[in-house]
Amino acid sequence: MTKSPEKPNVGRRKFLTGAAVAGAVTSLPSVGEAAKEGSSSKELSPGALPPSAAQMELEASSPEQINEQLAANTASAETGSFGSDFMVDVMKSLDLEYVFSNPGSSFLGLHESITVYSDNKAPEFITCMHEESAAAMANGYYKAALKPAAIMCHGTVGLQHAAMNIYNAWCDRVPLIAILGNHADANERLGATTWRHSAQDPASMVRDFTKWDDQPHSLQAFAESFVRGWKIATTPPMEPVAIVTDAHLQEMEVEDRSALKIPRYTPSEPPQGERGAVRDTAKLLVDAESPVIIVDRLARTPNGMKLLVELAELLNVPVIDIASRQNIPTSHYLNHTRKAGQLISNADVILGLEVTDFFGQVNSVNRANKTVQSRTKEGAKLVTISVNDLYMKSNYQDFQRYAPVDISVTGDGEATLPALIEEVNAALTRSHRRAIADKTKDLRKTHKDLYEESRRLAAQGWTSSPVSTGRMCMELYDKIKEEDWALVSVGASERFVSSWPHRLWNIDEHYRYLGIGAGGGVGYGLPAAVGAALANKKLGRFSVNIQCDGDFMYANGALWTAAHHRVPLLTVMHNNRAYAQETMLVQGTANRRKRGIDRSNIGTEIRNPDIDYAKLAEGMGVWSAGPIEDPDDLAPALAEAVKVVKSGYPALVDVVTQMR
Amino acid sequence: MNIKYFSSVIAPLCLFGFGAFGQEDPSVERGEQTFMRVGCFQCHGTNGQGSEAGTALTPDTLPPEAIANFIRFSPGRMPVYPEEILSDAEIADIVAYLEAVPEPPDPDSITVLKGLKVGE
Ligand code: HEC
Repeated sequence: MTKSPEKPNVGRRKFLTGAAVAGAVTSLPSVGEAAKEGSSSKELSPGALPPSAAQMELEASSPEQINEQLAANTASAETGSFGSDFMVDVMKSLDLEYVFSNPGSSFLGLHESITVYSDNKAPEFITCMHEESAAAMANGYYKAALKPAAIMCHGTVGLQHAAMNIYNAWCDRVPLIAILGNHADANERLGATTWRHSAQDPASMVRDFTKWDDQPHSLQAFAESFVRGWKIATTPPMEPVAIVTDAHLQEMEVEDRSALKIPRYTPSEPPQGERGAVRDTAKLLVDAESPVIIVDRLARTPNGMKLLVELAELLNVPVIDIASRQNIPTSHYLNHTRKAGQLISNADVILGLEVTDFFGQVNSVNRANKTVQSRTKEGAKLVTISVNDLYMKSNYQDFQRYAPVDISVTGDGEATLPALIEEVNAALTRSHRRAIADKTKDLRKTHKDLYEESRRLAAQGWTSSPVSTGRMCMELYDKIKEEDWALVSVGASERFVSSWPHRLWNIDEHYRYLGIGAGGGVGYGLPAAVGAALANKKLGRFSVNIQCDGDFMYANGALWTAAHHRVPLLTVMHNNRAYAQETMLVQGTANRRKRGIDRSNIGTEIRNPDIDYAKLAEGMGVWSAGPIEDPDDLAPALAEAVKVVKSGYPALVDVVTQMR
Repeated sequence: MNIKYFSSVIAPLCLFGFGAFGQEDPSVERGEQTFMRVGCFQCHGTNGQGSEAGTALTPDTLPPEAIANFIRFSPGRMPVYPEEILSDAEIADIVAYLEAVPEPPDPDSITVLKGLKVGE
C-alpha cells in the first residue's frame, strides 16, 4: 500500500485560520430567534467546528508521520474502495441509521467512509461531545425507533468514557452496537498517542456488561461479525455488543469487492415459554380469586401492550406497571399501579411478566434495620415469565436477589403472551366468565378513585415556590397533550418527579414513555432524550424530556448535539438544586447517628453558585427560558418553548422545583 | 394513615403522655425554619404538600401527638428523629407551621387539572 508520500497540504496554521474564518462567516442568530421568526437558519458549517480529536492527533504527530497517514488515506483513491467502505456497506445492509460518535484517530477510515463514501447518510455520523452521551443516545434511539444504533469510539479512552452508559443499556435490555477502534499491530502505530490508544483486548473492559464481542481479523470476518452481533443484540434478552474494528482493516485496500459477501440477516424469533408451564399458569390465573399481574419490561413493541390488555381484560386482573417500558395505558381501568402494595398483599396468584426484580416486588426490605418481610399472603402462588435466566453474567449484580417462585417460565414475555391468552381462553368456563365480568364495575371505580386521589394531591402545593413537581408536570402536559407527544426521558427514576406523568397523563401508546436510565448511572437523561428525539423527528412525534439538574451537569454537551443536528426536543428542568435522593439518604443516616442533622446539604446541594441552565442552553445555541420560580410564569414559557420545538429546534425551560 | 398504624403507633402514644411542649408557645415562623433546617421539606415538600418520598402532611394535618409520635418512632421509610436532634418544642413549632398552611385549591378550580381523560 505504499505510494510516494506527498507533502501534507493542510498545515497547522492554515487549518486554524480556515476554522476561524469559517467560524466568523457562519456566526448565526440565536436558534430560538430564528425559530420564532419562522425562518430556517443557515446550515451550521462543519468548518465552524473546533479541531477534532483526529485532527489534533495529526497535529500532534511529526511531519513524517502525517505523510504516512495521509498516504495511507489516499492510497486507493483511484479504486475508491477501502475496507471501511465495505464496512459501511455492511452497516447499510442492516439499515443502520445513525452512528453516535466523538471523532478519534483509531477510526479515521470509518469516519471518512461514512461521511464521504456514504455521503453521511444511512448511517449518519452524529457528533457527540462525550462517548458516554453517544451510548445514552443509542439507548434512547433504540427505545423510540425500536431498532439499534451504533456508537463508535476508541477501544481505549473512548470506551472508558462510554462504559457507564453501556452499562445503563445493559441493565435496560437495550441492544446497541459498539464499534471500537484499535491499532492491534504495534508496527502500524504512528506515535505515542496511538500506542496509548491501543489495547490487546479492548472489549474486555465492557465484557461483563455486553452480551457478545468480537475482534475480526479480515473484512469477510467483519461482515459476519457485524451481522452476527446485530442478531445477538436484538434477540431477547436484548443487550449491547461490541466489535473491535481495527484501523488496519479500515484502511485495507479492497482489490476485489465482489469477493466479499455480506451475509443475509434473519432476525431470531424470540424464545417462547414451554407450553405445559404456560397451561399451568393459565389454570392458576383462571381459578384465582384475587390475581394480580406485575409488568416491567414486558412490552418490547406496541403489540406487547395490546396483548397485555387482552390478557388482563380476559381475566379482569388488575395490573401493576413498574414501567421500564410502557406496558398498559395509564387510562386503562385495570391499571391499578398506585395500589400495588395492597394488591400484592391480597393476591392469591401473582404473575410477574419480564420483571427484573421480582423479589423486590413480593418482599419489602427495611432500610433501617435491614430486615426482609414478605408482602404476600400465606399460600399465594407466584409465577414468572421472563428471559432473565437465559443470559446472565456474574460480575455485575443487576440480576437482583433470587426469587423463589411456584412456576418459572423461561421465555420472552411478549412472545409468550399469545399462548397464555389461548390457554386462558381454553380454561375459562361460562361460570368463570360470569364471575369475571361481575368484577368490572368495581375495578373501574377503583381506577377512577386512584386517579381522583392523584388529582387532589396534585392540587396541593399548587402555588408553592419552588414549583411543585405536580404543578410542573401538569402545566407541561397541558401544553403538549394535543401533540403526538412522547416523554422520552425522566432520567434515572420517574419517582424523582413523584411519578406525576404515570399518575395523571394519558400514556396510551408504547412510544409515549421510554422508561429510565436503568443502571442508575447519572448522565443518562439528556443524551438518551436527544437520541430518542432524533428517532421521533422522523416519526413526526413531539419529544419531551423531564431533566434532573444533577444528571444534566454530567452530559450537557448533548444539548449542543441537539442544536447542531436540529433535533426538536423540549427539555424541562426539574431543578431542585440538589442531588435530592442523596440528600434524603444522608439525612436518614445522620438521624440514625444522632450527632447533628444540619449538614446533609454538604456534598448534596447544587447551590452557591446557583447554576443558570437557561444561560448554559443559550450558549449552546438552544432556545431557553428561566429560571422560573413563580409557578404562574410556567405556562407562558412552556407555550413559547412548544412553538420553538414545533418549528424543529430544541428548547429548554428551567424550572426551580421542590425536591420531589 | 391506615388502621394498622393507628393502633400500633398512635394509640400507645396516649399512654406515653405527649404534651409537655416546652415553655414558649409554639411559633409558626420558627416552625417553618425548623421544617426546612432539619430536612422535613425534602420529602414532604416545603408546604407539607407531600411527594412520593413522603406523605402529604397538609391540609389534613394529624393531631400534634400523632405527628410527634411518628417523628420519634416511625416504623417505615421515614428516618426517625430522636429527642437528641429534634426537641419536643421544635416539633410543636413544626406542627404550628403545618396547621397554618392554607388550604389548597379544589382541583376542579384549576384549568389544567380539569377535564383530563380517565378510564375508557
Ligand atoms: C427522607 C424522607 C423524609 C424526611 C426527611 C421526613 N419524612 Fe416524614 N415521612 C416520610 C415518609 C416516607 C413517610 C411515610 C412513612 C410510612 O408510610 O412508613 C413519612 C411520614 C410522616 C408522617 C406521618 C404522616 C401520615 O399521615 O401518616 C409525619 C407526621 C411526618 N412524616 C412528619 C415529618 C416531619 C415533621 C419531618 C421533619 C422533622 C419529616 N417527616 C421528615 C419521609 C420523610
